Amino acid sequence: MPATEYPGSFLGRISIRRNQVISMDGAHEQELEDLELFQKHVSERFSDLLPPPPSDDISPDALLSIAWLRKLLDEFLCCEAQFKALLIMGRDPSQIVKPPLDRLVPEFLDRVVKALDICNAVLHGIESVRQFQKLAEIAISALEQRPIGDGQVKRARRALNSLITSMAVEDKDFTNSKSTERAWSFGRRGGGIGTGTGTGTGTATPQHKDRVAGQFRSLSWSMAKGWSAAKQIQAMSSNLAAPRGGESSSLPQTVYLMSTVLVFVMWTLVAALPCQERGGLPTNLPVSKQMSWAQSMIGLQEKIAEEWKKKEKKGSAGLLEEMQKMEKLSQSLMEFTESFTFPLETEKAEEVAAQVAELSETCKKLEEGLVPLQQQIREVFHRVVKSRTEIVELLEYTSKASSPIV
Amino acid sequence: MDPSLELSETPEQIILRWDSAAPDEVKDKMIFDSDREEIDRYLQAVDEIQRSISSAPISDDHNKADSTMQIAMARLEDEFRHILSSHTTPIEVDSLTDPSPSSRSMSTSASGVFEDENDDEPDLQEVQLDLTGSPSFGSSGRSSYRATTSIREIDLIPSDAVIDLRSIAERMISAGYLRECIQVYGSVRKSTFDSSFRRLGIEKLSIGDIQRLDWNELETKIRRWIRAAKVSIRTLFSSEKKLCEQIFYGIGTAIDDACFMETVKGPVTQLFNFAEAISISRRSPEKLFKILDLHDALTELISDIDVIFESKSAEYIRIQAAEIVSRLAEAVRGTLSEFENAVLREPSLHPVPGGTLHPLTRYVMNYVSLISDYKVTLDELIVSKPSTGSRYSADPSIPDMDFGELEGKTPLALHLIWSIVILQFNLEGKSRHYRDPSLAHLFIMNNVHYIVQKIKGSPELREMIGDVYLKRLTGKYRQAATNYERTTWVNVLYCLRNEGLNVGGSLSSGPAKSLIRDRFKTFNAMFEEVHRTQSSWLIPDSQLREELRISIIEKLIPAYRSFLGLHGHHIESGRHPENYIKYSVEELENAILDFFEGCSVTHNLRRRSH
Repeated sequence: MPATEYPGSFLGRISIRRNQVISMDGAHEQELEDLELFQKHVSERFSDLLPPPPSDDISPDALLSIAWLRKLLDEFLCCEAQFKALLIMGRDPSQIVKPPLDRLVPEFLDRVVKALDICNAVLHGIESVRQFQKLAEIAISALEQRPIGDGQVKRARRALNSLITSMAVEDKDFTNSKSTERAWSFGRRGGGIGTGTGTGTGTATPQHKDRVAGQFRSLSWSMAKGWSAAKQIQAMSSNLAAPRGGESSSLPQTVYLMSTVLVFVMWTLVAALPCQERGGLPTNLPVSKQMSWAQSMIGLQEKIAEEWKKKEKKGSAGLLEEMQKMEKLSQSLMEFTESFTFPLETEKAEEVAAQVAELSETCKKLEEGLVPLQQQIREVFHRVVKSRTEIVELLEYTSKASSPIV
Repeated sequence: MDPSLELSETPEQIILRWDSAAPDEVKDKMIFDSDREEIDRYLQAVDEIQRSISSAPISDDHNKADSTMQIAMARLEDEFRHILSSHTTPIEVDSLTDPSPSSRSMSTSASGVFEDENDDEPDLQEVQLDLTGSPSFGSSGRSSYRATTSIREIDLIPSDAVIDLRSIAERMISAGYLRECIQVYGSVRKSTFDSSFRRLGIEKLSIGDIQRLDWNELETKIRRWIRAAKVSIRTLFSSEKKLCEQIFYGIGTAIDDACFMETVKGPVTQLFNFAEAISISRRSPEKLFKILDLHDALTELISDIDVIFESKSAEYIRIQAAEIVSRLAEAVRGTLSEFENAVLREPSLHPVPGGTLHPLTRYVMNYVSLISDYKVTLDELIVSKPSTGSRYSADPSIPDMDFGELEGKTPLALHLIWSIVILQFNLEGKSRHYRDPSLAHLFIMNNVHYIVQKIKGSPELREMIGDVYLKRLTGKYRQAATNYERTTWVNVLYCLRNEGLNVGGSLSSGPAKSLIRDRFKTFNAMFEEVHRTQSSWLIPDSQLREELRISIIEKLIPAYRSFLGLHGHHIESGRHPENYIKYSVEELENAILDFFEGCSVTHNLRRRSH
């Protein structure tokens, strides 16, 4: 639909959309078919995202890697498109203002608004990831020098230290967040770490740590004060309940299905990428295991939740696969820098070179993948906004049409 | 022999003396706060080491030099951060929100900060950054875009500090420490933006927050945002870009752009997010004009945005700005449609007492007037006609309108006319709630007359509505007046008719006399009733009120006079004529003056005692 199309012509579209001669029963059957098809598609799409059994030859996109996330968002867009078709071009548009949809649809729209905010928060979070990437690249360029000398090792250690500190910031620490300005009062003090060769604790001065953490904060803590991704997810799932069934229309089921998909996708994004205030992120989704279409989703959710619980205690920037790799490699390389003496023996040099290469590979993935990921999230944002506008218009039109005239 | 080395300090020694990680008091002192000699000495030492690294073959010395270099770089990074932070004052906003756009060719006097280059320790905490444009430092011939009159750059950092920063940047970048340099620049400057934004009142609000705000709050925020956006884009971002150029120009490729983007990415997103959230918020009629303001402000800023964010890496910013403008345009259209819907369905059921102006009429006409004020923008945005259903639409809940006679009108004008059509349609419905049909007609007359007056009172509106339709409206209220007269006065005047009475026939015929007496009695009763009722009716427009009264008088008085003349003597010659001829012509005329005053008349009609 072209952006400039006047919404009023909507009227014309609705009234000639369906042949009204279809009997109510027939319409209902058709609706049911549509719903079942929708459920089937959802089920298939999410089972595509499940990690395949190890015996398979195809090397899949690792769970929660950038590539996997992009696939997830693609599937989401497909579901969203199908949902919109069902809801807006439904056979009997007046359903939308009758119970239970008169409550369910506004609730859905409310979830949509929260999802939009989560998209924005996650976009900020991706900027943080880019910062991590840049720090890693400093370390990489330092450690790629041949031969590896004291200077470069110190340089790498400084960068790796910043990197590790930023990534390990715990949500809990910063609920009473000191403003980022505080970090600058420490600007005068040196940020250098242990000097000399073979010595040094490898940990930065507290000032350096604060400053780094402050930097990190100012990036991903860019949402409104008090905004919490965890709370948003909680709110989105709190009133999510399967319709009891026995309604004359299957649209409530459709809305429930889409809501579940929406909550799941947003939850996954929040778990994967840095995001303001994730303390208390729920680890269960309110989807009943009895829903056959939800099986894959539940499977994925359980796997991710497991990972989340492991990381939550230590504090983590997010479960993004590339970030996890970066974390692991940084730790290992950090240890290397702490125990380094010049000159480096060949064996060790090769080991380090391999890790550096892996880190470099990971950074490359980030370099290539983060911008497209951001673009895709923007795409999701746009599409969701559009659908919301159309649904709101439909609501207004329908409720006006059925209200009495003066 | 390099004089600095004559002091028998090697470059290594100098650098090690300033090792940030060394556990002594050197941590609290900054090289660039010391005297110029020390600074130069340090920088030369760095250059020496750099030269030795580049020229010497790989060796043990190389490792040592490398290590020394790292220490120097770490130190310089801290120095860089320090210089940037200490010269980073959040902008004094008041001096910037000067609405008068002026070109860059302002006098360059005044600000002592920029003149005093010998000041070792400029204390810039209290400085008011004046908008006198000082000559831009270090920019050579890259001033083509600065010709835009609306962009006003200022020097964010004094030129001596810029020189220092530049000297550090050069060395960091030649030593291969570009990334660290960009990083440190970005992080300090980002923090400055945060503070500046706070001072400008740019808040971080989520979309959810904005949905929940009530309209008055939101209006204020929009107004504030518009002012803040203009300052941010035209001054803050543009000056930031200039600063990056000053520090990094000529050092490496596009490093100034990288630093600029690094710094402004976040703030730009934050700025745009607000406008975006407004564009996707729920439509409701009262929002139209503020959204238009927002749309216009952002449209105005697009050309500046395109100039400041012209690099390839900033393309997404230009795209996003355009998207938001387009969304705001959609919001405008949607809101207009909402308005029309709201007018159509406005459900107040209680008839307005006295048949006077309905608040809806006033609201709609004010709204429509205001729309004509925004004609320039709205003509561009509103491109399709109102959907009114077909001329003979079966839906009784939507009025018909034939656009055939309104050829050549812009879509916006058609929408305005349509709004007025809907208003009337709604008013018709409301008029049916009056039990007294006369009052219904009066009501319509009042309201349509008001519409006509409003249109006539605004040249833009009149031009858009057009005289054809205006004429129709005028006819309508005149018709309503006629209808009123008919329903009220026909029966009253009926009493004064000549039929059934023997005009000029035999005198003192009994039936005639009693008939006449009855006529008078009926007339009196009816008139009194009408008088009692319709004095409390209201015609707010004084001219219309007068006109209608005169019209009534013109019909009533001659009839009464004539009746009196023809038949009055029958009564006068009988018993108690005062019971029948209660009123003189003058008294009747005066009574009419009570009509449509909107207050009930308690006094007796008769002003003269009998």
